[in-house]
Amino acid sequence: MPEAKTPKVQRSDSSTGRPAVVAGFASGIWVVVKREMGAYFDSPIAYIYATVFLVLSSTTFMNSFFLDSIVDMSAYFDLLPFLLIPFVPAMTMRTWAEEHAQHTFELLMTLPLRSLQVVLGKYAAALLFYLLILAGTTPIVIMLVWLGSPDLGLIFSSYLGALFLGAFFLSFGLFLSGLTHNQIVAFVLATLMGFAFVVSGHEKVVAVLDGLSPGWQLGTWLFESLSVMPHYESFTRGVLGLGSALYFLLMIGFFVWMNEVTLRRNRF
Amino acid sequence: MITVESVTKTYGSLVAVDDVSFKIAAGEIVGFVGPNGAGKSTMLKMLSTYLYPSSGTIAVAGFDAVTESLEVRRRIGYLAGDTPLYQDMRVDEFLRFIGRARGLRGADLDRAFDQTVDLCGVGVVLAMRIDQCSTGFRQRVGLASALIHDPPILLLDEPTHGFDPLQVIAFRELLQKLRPGRAILFSTHITADVEAISDRVLIIHLGRLLGDGRVDELATAAGLPGDSLEATFAHLVRASASPSPDRSHA
Repeated sequence: MPEAKTPKVQRSDSSTGRPAVVAGFASGIWVVVKREMGAYFDSPIAYIYATVFLVLSSTTFMNSFFLDSIVDMSAYFDLLPFLLIPFVPAMTMRTWAEEHAQHTFELLMTLPLRSLQVVLGKYAAALLFYLLILAGTTPIVIMLVWLGSPDLGLIFSSYLGALFLGAFFLSFGLFLSGLTHNQIVAFVLATLMGFAFVVSGHEKVVAVLDGLSPGWQLGTWLFESLSVMPHYESFTRGVLGLGSALYFLLMIGFFVWMNEVTLRRNRF
Repeated sequence: MITVESVTKTYGSLVAVDDVSFKIAAGEIVGFVGPNGAGKSTMLKMLSTYLYPSSGTIAVAGFDAVTESLEVRRRIGYLAGDTPLYQDMRVDEFLRFIGRARGLRGADLDRAFDQTVDLCGVGVVLAMRIDQCSTGFRQRVGLASALIHDPPILLLDEPTHGFDPLQVIAFRELLQKLRPGRAILFSTHITADVEAISDRVLIIHLGRLLGDGRVDELATAAGLPGDSLEATFAHLVRASASPSPDRSHA
């Protein structure tokens, strides 16, 4: 059953005459964002995630950079989807599961915030954290500019693709975390989903799936309709396609909405 | 302020609350008594809108707890069982977070924060992380979080859990201070708390409401005039016919 919108005419709330205080929609989201960012940075987890991700991605990139001697970041962005498969679920697995473990889910859901405000707050905080980590890779761009003349337009478009890709992974990571009270289950489910979205865009996987179902052309169908890779790769090739942006926005919207529906279902 | 009409809550085949009705007016302190698993917490969860009833209606401050749940949440102060608190936050951070989530800002938030800290006696632990506080202080912080927005309706699930005898006395005094204009419902196992501060008692067992009235009224109705609430409670619970051991609808 949907939550009611605030009635235009307020009923008398008490014999004491105290008015009910109301947080605006955006400020309600911001309250949750601040709480979540505090939770990330008050524990060593955020620093460990950031360090592991940056060290792993940068060292792998530097290896291919010195081997190929090409002043661009394509090797970095080719690797990124595979790094995000385990990395994002590790970030999102605690989001709802931890609320259940600490019993704070009940506290959160009895505050005068809409379910959507809570979901958007948690999502925005996770996205901010991801952006901060992505910003940690800018020394690579500075190094490339210092060493030669990289295509900055291509790098910008690739970063936009990386932003969309991370935002998409976060959306289903949060949704899956909301389905279970167990962090490990949330991690495994999100990793498997991320893996499916990425490998369904790999040409060998497409060929194998098509070979298994010649009549259905399952591999081609998955590649064209669901896989994240054609859309991400259009950004890393320097094409800012409206279709690909729309794919990401629709998928993110779908999983955020599903997360909100899951929260509301918990009340029944 | 609170009207509960024929409310039932089921979890699959288990009936946690079975056709319960009662009313609580402003200025009343009502104790909610029952054995473990009687349905007290489920009833409070429904009043707080955390859970929706399977059937029946709940009105809080004139708002329907299902279709106008947000309006209800704005008007209640709710301390859930297990005292859920963000253990990684400092006490002051936590209380300000709750205040902001309830729409308090700037000077209003500062004023509400100072008043609640004084009222609940948590000033000495403000700079401590919640997971470093004792059980009694954690309980007081939970109470402060339920009070920071000065709500007209207070729902407290086992509020004296973890309190020492002095803290229990302080809690009783606090409820008396909070009484004017407020509807207060608190659940407990400790019948002495209820006798000391409640105007009225609700006795629940196996999801069913066995009694609703003053302690002396309930004792007289149970044929135990002049007896304690503990004796009345034990008599009513033993006398109540249990529909089936697992309260399931076959």
